Amino acid sequence: MQTLKHIFEPLRLLNKRTLTLLIVIEVLLALVAWQLSGGGLIPTPAKVLAALGDIVQRPDFPDNLFASLTLTIKGMGISILIALVISYLSIVPFFQPLAKFVIKCRYLTLTGLIFLFTLLTQNGHQLKLSLLIFGIVPFFVTSLLSVIDNIHAQEFELCTTLRMNSWKALWEVVIVGRLDQVFEVMRQNFAIAWLMITSVEGLSMSEGGLGVMLIKANKYVQLDVVFGTLVIIFILGILFDYLLGTVRHWLFPYTKLTVRR
Amino acid sequence: MNTYSKHEVLLSAENIQLQYGEKVVLRDVNFRIQDIRRHGINQGQVVSLIGRSGIGKTQLFRILSGLLRPGAGEVRIDEDQHVVKPGEVGIVPQNYILFNHRTIYQNLKIGLDSAQLNLSEAETKSTIAEYAATFELSEHLKKYPAQLSGGQRQRASIIQQVLTGNKFILLDEPFSGLDVLMIDRVMELLLKISTLSEHNTLIIVSHDIENAAAISDMVWVLGAEEGKPGATIVKEYDLCQMGLAWKPEIRSDMRFVELLTDIRKHL
Repeated sequence: MQTLKHIFEPLRLLNKRTLTLLIVIEVLLALVAWQLSGGGLIPTPAKVLAALGDIVQRPDFPDNLFASLTLTIKGMGISILIALVISYLSIVPFFQPLAKFVIKCRYLTLTGLIFLFTLLTQNGHQLKLSLLIFGIVPFFVTSLLSVIDNIHAQEFELCTTLRMNSWKALWEVVIVGRLDQVFEVMRQNFAIAWLMITSVEGLSMSEGGLGVMLIKANKYVQLDVVFGTLVIIFILGILFDYLLGTVRHWLFPYTKLTVRR
Repeated sequence: MNTYSKHEVLLSAENIQLQYGEKVVLRDVNFRIQDIRRHGINQGQVVSLIGRSGIGKTQLFRILSGLLRPGAGEVRIDEDQHVVKPGEVGIVPQNYILFNHRTIYQNLKIGLDSAQLNLSEAETKSTIAEYAATFELSEHLKKYPAQLSGGQRQRASIIQQVLTGNKFILLDEPFSGLDVLMIDRVMELLLKISTLSEHNTLIIVSHDIENAAAISDMVWVLGAEEGKPGATIVKEYDLCQMGLAWKPEIRSDMRFVELLTDIRKHL
């Protein structure tokens, strides 16, 4: 009874066992509700599960999965490097307008730029990668600049009293001091990369990918396959989220010390 | 018998003014800190700048450290009385800022490295170990700042500044948020640091009159004068001259109690 009261109490911290139990119960309830309300156009969890089993056994599934994963990781890797360079340079006044412009590029739609990118790139892979990078970088830069803006002025003053020049202060406070938050930014923005991957994969379907699978299934109204593919994308997203979070805590143990648990 | 003599000026503030738009924050702030010498001891200087909250203490703190340029006037330091530059005066802010991504050892090492003594790895380690032992931080060297209590963080922050080789260290509200026992330990620590070297000078900026005055040899009261805008030094107490400096049991001395009453009148 007490536990039941706790789960509705604001700011109450639950122990790991109770929290896991709560998640399992809520997931089961959602699945039951879905199963009971389904049956029409929307496939039931049982059908989605069957479609999922079918998808993973398809001979082209590993290739599609590999194509999406490599494109995402490559896109994320290059994007974070570009975003880091732009963000760190934004500390130097000369580069501030560039960083501010990149942030505003969040409002540009990729659809309008496909023709331009098609002219600029040499093949389908490059086109997809370029669009992915162009789509992700503004979001990365926005998050990274927010991290930099939130650095307390006293940290820079501490550097001054420790006789560091401005480049050393940049290194200590912004680059090394906030490296853990770069991982957090990557983790949070990974969802955007996943969101875009399925869109850009449709631009050049020869390489395959999970996005291509989705487009084809949608075209033939195979909604159970669509939902099955979405489940795979969802699981992969959660997996990456967990991996990046774990690597962050492993590389930067101090990040665990100030978290409310 | 507290025989002492005062010698060259180590730090001086001349006609410091600070104004934001129409608002005058500081006006005509003048003071001097002289080297105090006592026989058989490296007697550093401990001075307190007392004032009510919001009077402009922190602004003066930043000006003294060279982090903020005053609208007029100069802060000069050392025997040659050159204008203070950022990095020549150490600061220990109220919230004890350390690099949270570095262990305490690494934080202290950054302080020591900035002294540019070209120490070997072994010498660096032994110097840090020595200071950590003196100030009871040995068992915390491998920890991160977030794992330390407020008092331990404060000690680490003070030692980091001491290791830079700065003779002048400014402390913003060093007794704030500490329990009674911890305050006593901080006072011991500050007195210990002040006697590490003849020219070591600690400037305590605080609104805690009793604790600040108890370890000081000089107290300045920063306050407002009637009819005049901005804060200035309204009263100076030379505790050496008054025979109230360097006395461990000072709190039980009636003259000290009277001094506190008098300081309160000027706030």
